[in-house]
Amino acid sequence: MTTSAARTTPPAAPSVRDGAAVRLTGLHKSFGQVHAVRGVDLTIAPGEVVAFLGPNGAGKSTTIDMLLGLTAPDAGSATVFGADPVTAVQAGSVGAMLQSGALLPDVTVRELVTMFAALHRHPLPVDEAIERAGISEIAGQKTTKLSGGQAQRVRYALALVPDPDLLVLDEPTVAMDVELRRSFWASMREATAAGKTVLFATHYLEEADDFADRVVVLARGRIVADGTGAQIKATVAGRAITAAIPGATVAALRDLPGVASAEQQGPRMVLRCTDSDGALRALLAAFPASHDIEIRTGNLEDAFLELTANATQVAA
Amino acid sequence: MSTFAAAPAARPDPTTRPEKRTSGMSIALSYTLITARSTFRNTRFILFTVALPVVMYLLFNNLYGDQTEAGINVGAYLMVSMAAYGGIGATINAGARIAIERQTGWNRQLRLSALSARGYLIAKAAVAMLVALPAIVLVFLAGVAFGSAHLTFAQWLGCGLALWLSLIPFGVLGLVIGFVATVDSAQPLTMLTYMALAILGGLWFPVSQFPSLLQHVAKALPSYWAAEIAREPLAHQAIPLTGVLVLAAWAVGLGLLAMAAYRRSGRKA
Repeated sequence: MTTSAARTTPPAAPSVRDGAAVRLTGLHKSFGQVHAVRGVDLTIAPGEVVAFLGPNGAGKSTTIDMLLGLTAPDAGSATVFGADPVTAVQAGSVGAMLQSGALLPDVTVRELVTMFAALHRHPLPVDEAIERAGISEIAGQKTTKLSGGQAQRVRYALALVPDPDLLVLDEPTVAMDVELRRSFWASMREATAAGKTVLFATHYLEEADDFADRVVVLARGRIVADGTGAQIKATVAGRAITAAIPGATVAALRDLPGVASAEQQGPRMVLRCTDSDGALRALLAAFPASHDIEIRTGNLEDAFLELTANATQVAA
Repeated sequence: MSTFAAAPAARPDPTTRPEKRTSGMSIALSYTLITARSTFRNTRFILFTVALPVVMYLLFNNLYGDQTEAGINVGAYLMVSMAAYGGIGATINAGARIAIERQTGWNRQLRLSALSARGYLIAKAAVAMLVALPAIVLVFLAGVAFGSAHLTFAQWLGCGLALWLSLIPFGVLGLVIGFVATVDSAQPLTMLTYMALAILGGLWFPVSQFPSLLQHVAKALPSYWAAEIAREPLAHQAIPLTGVLVLAAWAVGLGLLAMAAYRRSGRKA
C-alpha cells in the first residue's frame, strides 16, 4: 500500500476554528413529548474520525438528521464546513449512509447508483463508487433481492457518490457479518487516510474503540463523554473489586477510602474504585472475612454502562 | 464474498475536477425523466388511471351522446367531463405515490443529493402532468372513434390543452397528500378527495341539476373550473377569468402547503 507516499495533499491540520468540518451548537429536538436531543454541542475538525456511541434512543440518529439537514432543530444550529447542512449536501461535501430504509424498488443496483449520480453536480464515476463499495458482483441484481449486508454496501456506495469530504454513517455495519464488517472498516480506513472526515454512529463498543480517533458518548439526548477510547475508560473508575464480604452493607463499603461506588450483585459485592490498591487494604482491614476477591480493569463496556446510567439518574 | 475495495491512494483535488458543473435545473430535469420512466413502467398504474374514464365515457356516451343541450353536443360535453375525471385521477394519484417513497426511506436518500426542495417538487408536479396525458388523449380518441361530436381540429386541441393546463392544482394536491398521508392512508385519502372533487365539481352530473347550495360549492372547486374551462372551446366562448383565478388560487395555496409538508417530511415517516 503506497497510500501515504502517493498522497498529494497533506492531512488536514486538526485546527478547528472556522475550518470545522462539523459544528453543532446547542442542538435541541423534541418529537411530541419525547425530548430526543437536549443540548448537544460538538465540533469536529477536518480529517477526524469520530464515533457517536450510545444505546438505542440516545438521540444519535436525530442528531445526525439535523446535521444532514433532514430535520430542523427546535433550537441551536448545525453547520458543515461553515455552511448550513442543506447547502453542504447540495454542494456534494457530505455523503451519508442512512440507517435502514429500503432502496428504490424495481431497479438494479447499477441503475440505482447511476440514477443517484445523475442527481449530483460532480459525482464520482459510477464504476468507481461501485468498486469502492465492493458491490461489483451484485451490480446487476434487483435492489429488492439483496441481503441485509448487501443492501448496506449499496447504501455505502450511495454515500460515496457525491465524492464527499465528510462521510456520515448511521449504524453502518448493522446486518453485516463479522468478515464483512472487518473489510468495511478496512475500506473506511483508506478513505480516512485520504483525508476524509468521518462521523459514524454505533452501539458496538469495539467499533468505536477500534476505528475512531475520538469517541463521543451520547445518552438521553446529551453528550456524556468525549475523548479517545482510552480517555473514556479512564474517566470512570479504573478498576473494580468483586468479593464475597460477610457482614458488610453497601453503605459501609461505599465509605471505604478509594471506593467510588458499591453495589450488591447476588451474594457478592462490586466496588468500583478510584484507587483499587488502597481500597483493597481498607477492605481487608475492615472485613477480614472477605473472600473470593477479584480485581479487574474496567473496559469500555463498563465505562459506557456507567456513563449512560448516570445520565439516566440526571434525567429522572 | 467480495470485499470493500481500497480507495484510490490520491484523491482528486476538488479544484482540478473536471468542470462539468451541472445546474440545479438540469438536475431537476434528470429527476423528472427518471421518475417519469419509473411511473410509466408501472403499467398497472397507467391502466387504472386510463381505463375507468374511457369505459365511463363510452357508457354515458352510448346513453346520452346524441342529445344536444344549450347548443352543445352532450357527447362532447361528456367527453370533456370524463377526460377531466381521468386527468384529475392520474395527477392526484401520481403525487400520492410519494407516500410510498417516504415510507421506504427513499425520500430521505434523495435529500442527500444535489436535488433541491424546489427541484424535487417541480419534478414531481411535472411527472403528474405527464401522467395525465394518456387519460386525456385516450378519452378524446374514444370520442373520435365512437362519439357523435364533430369538432374542428382547433377545438380538439383547444379543449385538450385547456384541460391539461387546468390540472396543475391537482398535481399539487397529489403532492400534499403524498407528504401528509402514510402508505396506508394515501389510497383512501386519494380516492375520497378524487371522488368528492369529481362529483361535487359536476363531472358526473351537470352542476345545473344540483341544489343551489351545492352549486355554490361547485363553483369554488378546481374540478368544476377545469372541466368548465375545457368546454369553452366547444361553445366558442372565451375562457372565464373567474375560473383561471380559482385554479390559480388552489395551485398557489396547495403549493405553499406542499412546501411546508415537504420540510416536515424529512424526519422518518
